[in-house]
Amino acid sequence: MAVEAQEYRIRPPRRTPLAGLRRALVPIAEARGLARFMLWLGAGLTACFVVMAVFAPVIAPYRFDQYQSGSNRFSQLAHPSADHLLGTTVQSTDVLSRVIWGAQTELKVVVIALVFSLAVGVPLGLISGYFSGPLDRALVLLMDALFAFPYLILAIVIAFLLSGGIGRGVLTAAIAITVVYVPQYFRVVRNHVISVREEPYVEAARALGAKPPTIIRRYVFFNVVQNVPVIATLNAADAILTLAALGFLGYGIQPTDAAEWGYDINRAVSDAASGIWWTGLFPGLAIVLLVTGLTLLGEGLNETVNPVLRRRPIAKVDMASSMEVAEV
Amino acid sequence: MASQGTSLKRYAVTRLVLVLPMVLLLLTLVFLLMRVAPGNPISAALGGHAPQAVINQISNQLGFDKPLYAQYGNYLWDIVRGDFGTTITDRRPVNEIIATNGAATLELTLAAMVVAVLVGIVLGLVAGRFRDTPIDVGGRLFGIVIYAMPVFFLGLLAQLVFGSWLDWLPTSDQASPLTQATLETHTNIFVLDALIDGNWSALWDILKHLILPATTLGLVTAGIFIRLIRVNVIRTLKDDYIEAARARGISERAVVYRHAFRNALVPVITVVGLQLAQLLSGAILTETTFNWPGIGHELVLYIENRDYAAVQGIIVIFALVVVAVSLLIDFVNAFIDPRIRY
Amino acid sequence: MNRRGFSLRTVVLAGLVLVGVVALGTGAALSSSGSTKRASASVLVDGTTDTVTNIDPAGEYDYGSFTASFPIFQGLLGYAPGAKVIPVLATKCSFKGTKTYFCALRKNVKFHNGDPMTSADVKWSFDRVTKIKDSSGIYTLLTNIKSVTPAGPYGVTFHLKQAQAVFPLILTTSAGFVVDHKVYPNNKVQPNSSEQVGTGPYKLTKYTPGQQAVYEANSDYWGPKPKSDSLIIRYFSKSSTMKLSLQRGEIDMAFRDFTPTELASLGSTKGITVHKGNGVVIRYLVFNVTRAPFDNVAVRKAIAYLFPRQTIASKIYHGNVQPLYSMVPSGLPGHIDAFKTAYGASPSTAKAKAALSAAGVTTPVSIDLWYTPSHYGDASADEYAEIKRALEASGLFKVNLQSAEWAQYSDALGKTYSAFQLGWFPDFVDAEDYTAPFYSTDNFTSNGYSSKAMDALLSKEKATSNAEARYGVLVQIQKLAAKDVPIIPYWQGKMIAVSRSNVHGIDSTLDPSFLMRFWLISKS
Repeated sequence: MAVEAQEYRIRPPRRTPLAGLRRALVPIAEARGLARFMLWLGAGLTACFVVMAVFAPVIAPYRFDQYQSGSNRFSQLAHPSADHLLGTTVQSTDVLSRVIWGAQTELKVVVIALVFSLAVGVPLGLISGYFSGPLDRALVLLMDALFAFPYLILAIVIAFLLSGGIGRGVLTAAIAITVVYVPQYFRVVRNHVISVREEPYVEAARALGAKPPTIIRRYVFFNVVQNVPVIATLNAADAILTLAALGFLGYGIQPTDAAEWGYDINRAVSDAASGIWWTGLFPGLAIVLLVTGLTLLGEGLNETVNPVLRRRPIAKVDMASSMEVAEV
Repeated sequence: MASQGTSLKRYAVTRLVLVLPMVLLLLTLVFLLMRVAPGNPISAALGGHAPQAVINQISNQLGFDKPLYAQYGNYLWDIVRGDFGTTITDRRPVNEIIATNGAATLELTLAAMVVAVLVGIVLGLVAGRFRDTPIDVGGRLFGIVIYAMPVFFLGLLAQLVFGSWLDWLPTSDQASPLTQATLETHTNIFVLDALIDGNWSALWDILKHLILPATTLGLVTAGIFIRLIRVNVIRTLKDDYIEAARARGISERAVVYRHAFRNALVPVITVVGLQLAQLLSGAILTETTFNWPGIGHELVLYIENRDYAAVQGIIVIFALVVVAVSLLIDFVNAFIDPRIRY
Repeated sequence: MNRRGFSLRTVVLAGLVLVGVVALGTGAALSSSGSTKRASASVLVDGTTDTVTNIDPAGEYDYGSFTASFPIFQGLLGYAPGAKVIPVLATKCSFKGTKTYFCALRKNVKFHNGDPMTSADVKWSFDRVTKIKDSSGIYTLLTNIKSVTPAGPYGVTFHLKQAQAVFPLILTTSAGFVVDHKVYPNNKVQPNSSEQVGTGPYKLTKYTPGQQAVYEANSDYWGPKPKSDSLIIRYFSKSSTMKLSLQRGEIDMAFRDFTPTELASLGSTKGITVHKGNGVVIRYLVFNVTRAPFDNVAVRKAIAYLFPRQTIASKIYHGNVQPLYSMVPSGLPGHIDAFKTAYGASPSTAKAKAALSAAGVTTPVSIDLWYTPSHYGDASADEYAEIKRALEASGLFKVNLQSAEWAQYSDALGKTYSAFQLGWFPDFVDAEDYTAPFYSTDNFTSNGYSSKAMDALLSKEKATSNAEARYGVLVQIQKLAAKDVPIIPYWQGKMIAVSRSNVHGIDSTLDPSFLMRFWLISKS
């Protein structure tokens, strides 16, 4: 019997708009075991804090600098109680509110710093890596010098450099952090570009007459940018620690402008010497949880996306049943 | 072999030559950053007390109102002659600061490294070997959480628990006042000085003071080691020669201990060296929290007071040390791995 | 099979062994810690958060350096406990005419190295301060000296450029400390790492910058023996670690500076005593009177009417400071509560409102208030939050708080800021040091205040030698200051030292002369 021949038209593979994104997300869907657990735990923790940050005005019981309710002054350094779930500080402000508002400050600074770092570091890395030459060498020298500098000192100096000009707000802190992390993005992107640059398909494109901007845009960029989300989340984690360190040393954000966890811990150190634990414990825990969340997210992404560490789901083969078939 | 020799030599020369512009860049960065920042050491010392006329007169005396390029020239010339200057706020020669406070930081960072290496490497090896088991999960979570903990928060908790509540351990300084007053200085590293003199009671006192800061800083650094070692172990365990060893019938234990671990640890030297610069940043926070008289702590105080001479001198020497160490590591790596040479 | 290289087992074993050693050691140390704490009863250990610039008197103008050099150096005059001026290295001093001051020197005084003290050393000491012109600025105290001439080996005459009634007080400052002319160069400051030689009750035996200064009693001292054989001053960068040290008994006493929270906690700790005495440190708010909105005196007066002195003293400082109603602190001769008379003892919204509406000022007035967050203590932030609250609660002001770290702040002051915080401790204890530096034209605050009437009063005060008449002029100065209100003084700090309860003698040294006389303090 002749099987009805169906007409199979040869179509080029459909380019659904999200095909690329879907391809990128496959490893995440395939993640199993610990990697999946880390990914979701990290995402959950981070999401918690993002919600806290975005909805701070709604969630927080008081404003971050509120010291009275109506005409009732809050007491100073009060123990955690029904009115103040996490107690009050030496300035009679509510600890819980400051933790929640602090999340907003941290995220604001970190997001701005990330955007700046990416905007500066990635293009520089791409150009430097692709074109090489004296520009590349000069940039590498500069970035290595910045990298060798102890990051905290660099951040402190930039912070007070800018504080003279634009004051000690969110933007100053963000720029200080940007300067510290740009060398990292630059380095990673540049190294990756250098290895990708020698790939056959890039050479082929060049042979076909493609101009450098096209090559960079179409081939190199997407290849390189896969690394970036992992680094970005891990960098975000680091950036929060740097911001808190700046705040702890007194070079962070003006305390009257915004609540910041590092500054709160600074004030809490003298409270700790008097046995008062709630002013320092809760901001500190907030830092630990948020950074842990971001790190888990980053590590989880790394495990699922990085081919070296990636574990593909292996379908278990039932040897007994397959033997049966073979016998026939 | 001859070609290997010349290429190593050529590599060495190239790297050394590249060091000079890097150091110059660092020096210039430091100079500019300090001068451009608002505030100056004279007004920090006299502002709020002496009239502007006096402040101007003294600034003039010290050469701070000369044009920037003239100050820059003097600065470079002094460094070339090896004169790292004297601080403005407390009149200490920078060399003396490096000798005394640098030794204190060295003591702290070495002790912290011991803790970090022990905790970090052991946990990293174990986590990598037993991947995806509860040990791995526990180890990795520990590493991540400990890294997420800012060292000053850990210090605060330590002071709260061991200082305020339990009163078991001292929470500040290198030694108690009497011990420090009577200790003879030989190397400025207190542990060594006490050992040299055979002063056992002083040694116990010093070690007691060292425990909390070293453990705090060491644990936080261990967090980084755990993750790095673990990834390396996993990577190494996938390598072909490990498969080959298994295929030859060598026991899993021998495979892991003799082959995988040793090779996984090779990059540790590099990591430890790279950590040096970052360890200073960690040391700054630890030293501030525990009132440890180290160079990080001094640096923060000098920056606060805009003491140009102090900050420039300290950072320059520190930069030279970091560059020297990274050069050394690069040489070691180049010696081991021929691919890295230029 | 030979096992080369380390194995996991070895590493873990080594780790366990190390942990075991440390645990054993800690256990042993803890059990013997008692003995290291209870050291020789004759060593007094003092903690402080002050810093030292120079020990050489020709190079120090800050309180930390002064406290460190005070045990080893002495001047011709000094303060007895109770703040009375007495001769120390001199036996008798007096004015011979308005511009000449003569001192007879004490005989048989030896420096720590055995050299005898003579008028040559006195002349050398004063001349070198003026010649070195050290960047600390101490030489500015001696600008009125034309020359110092010896009158035999045991007499000294000071020739002044202008009449100066307070000149004897200058001799009590560190600018007047006498040093050994054989040891101290006359063209540069003696480095802290070199030997320091004076005539005082203690000798400096060891100095580790930023960490400690160690002293031993001077066995050849010409005066009464110091109560403790040895003294150690221990330097802390954070008051919280100093507090823990005091509680653990590592230090016996602490002088300068605890936060108000820490003082409150120490006050209720067993075994610890908080000692308080009359202090002379003040805190004040400066206005730049040439810049809006503070160029309008009504705005300044309104703030003076609203100032929450009592709330700051009780809520922020828990009674460790007292409200201050004049730049001249209470306890000093010549002091009057000028601001109380002019603006009332407590804040009054009605009067402030009246003052503003009388001048036609639209409310709320928008102002920037500046403070510095750590130089004067961490409580500054709380202090200014409180001032902001009080001003805004009246509905008459809208306050924007700003802060800058000291290095930047001190460079700016009135040049950049229009309303800013400052603190002051005196060079010498007299009302002149609380008026002339602030109210003269071109004063150090750069606040643009310039009043011919005030300048005239200030010159008159400097030149008046009769004490009663001088105090009369000072009263007029304070009244004018309250009327013009370019500065609002608001608190006067108590002199506070905290010690373990077995330490005696501290209360005798807490007085308006603001000196810590360690040689009067002992332990039981």
